[in-house]
Amino acid sequence: MASSSSLGRVLTLCKRFQSVFRISPAISVQHCAVNLKRCQNNLLSEKSSLIASSWITPISFVGQRRALHTTVSRRGLEEFFDQPENWGEPNVKSGAPWTAKQLRTKSNEDLHKLWYVLLKERNMLLTLAQEAKRQSLQMPSPERMKKIERSMVRLDTVVRERETALRLLQTGQEKGRPGDWRRNVFGYEYWYRFKEYTIPWYMNKRHERKKFYTPHFVQPHIRLRIERFLRERARKVNLKRKTLAKLKERFPQMKLPSS
Amino acid sequence: MRLTALLSMAARVVAPKDYRYGTNRPWTEAAKRMNPPGKRRKKVFVEPIEAEDWAILKGDMVEILAGKDKGKQGKVIQVFRRRNWVILEGLNTHFRYVGKVKDYRGTYVASEAPLLLRDVALVDPSDRKPTQIEWKYTEEGERVRVSSRTGRIIPKPVVERRDGIVPLQWKDGPKDTSPEDALEKTYVPSLKTLEEEVMEKLGIQEHRRHQKSYWY
Repeated sequence: MASSSSLGRVLTLCKRFQSVFRISPAISVQHCAVNLKRCQNNLLSEKSSLIASSWITPISFVGQRRALHTTVSRRGLEEFFDQPENWGEPNVKSGAPWTAKQLRTKSNEDLHKLWYVLLKERNMLLTLAQEAKRQSLQMPSPERMKKIERSMVRLDTVVRERETALRLLQTGQEKGRPGDWRRNVFGYEYWYRFKEYTIPWYMNKRHERKKFYTPHFVQPHIRLRIERFLRERARKVNLKRKTLAKLKERFPQMKLPSS
Repeated sequence: MRLTALLSMAARVVAPKDYRYGTNRPWTEAAKRMNPPGKRRKKVFVEPIEAEDWAILKGDMVEILAGKDKGKQGKVIQVFRRRNWVILEGLNTHFRYVGKVKDYRGTYVASEAPLLLRDVALVDPSDRKPTQIEWKYTEEGERVRVSSRTGRIIPKPVVERRDGIVPLQWKDGPKDTSPEDALEKTYVPSLKTLEEEVMEKLGIQEHRRHQKSYWY
């Protein structure tokens, strides 16, 4: 059991994007109470009530049923719209986005919940934007979308950081998806990312037709490319030197720029 | 992957080498009129000033040393670092017609022209005379501008945020997290991925086993 679970862990680490742990409807839920505080209305600002919404409803073990919602607030389609007091207002005030530093202090469970809270807020704002477009009006406070976007990107970054750290510890590899440096037909060396197949490479007819080598008749073209690159580099260096000389001529008392 | 690369290429604006940057932002009509595609202009040489040596900030009181309004003091509204320009409020103005429509000549407004950094000097608030500035460190370690003539520290101007928010007077809305909750540390480092921890907490059990697949 330990070996298969550790194997499973390694597999998850190595193929994060594949979402092996897709949550299917037919899974039972044990009763576990999560104790988190409510959010308070106070001073300095953040986005979204991460905390308010996390009581997991107890479900008896009859059949393997799982509720889609694990939140207290089940307003249904109303969640796609803002609170009624904000309807029709030209400006809705919103706090600052979550920073990566703040997100790094949160546990994985908190981040998981925050992601969905942000997602729902984002859906609400997108609905609002679409409706405003449809009615040819201006969306109230469009900066909220950017704040949400940035918060979500930072959350994703934090989660990726934690995963990379764990992967490095357990396997010594930084990248989750296997790959290799390969050469293509044009003479370029690039990072080829492996794909997942059900059959091995020696049985894959289509994969055999891929060329990871450079034919010999491409060599003259590679040489021309190198020549062009060297010429451009020399031109850049020359241009820099000439502009510096011209600047010195026009501004004799200037300090040499560090770059 | 390639789609995102294409999108990022489209998002990155490429300006031609002899693009003339003016006071109008590049996406405005006026800027597009000044730089139509295919026009060639001589290169503008701007005296290179290091970012840390830049002394004049938006909102500062500054005196003009040369030009039409020599000797006058004004507040800085805009700073253009790339061209070493500052625009002062109501000074160094020329007049033009704005909003010209057929049969209506437009409104006659005074518009400010930018001034080079060389032609302006910061004003010392104690004696209200122009001085040269040096960047020095205080006892606490803060980097401040010190006037070389009087030796007095010139404080940084308080600039209002574009959205009009004053951080000290902010009141949280219903969707905002309070500062205590936001700064609270709940992270306990463990050798588990996010997926595993969440599955444990929610009691999800994964009984499916991964089928053998090949990566190449």
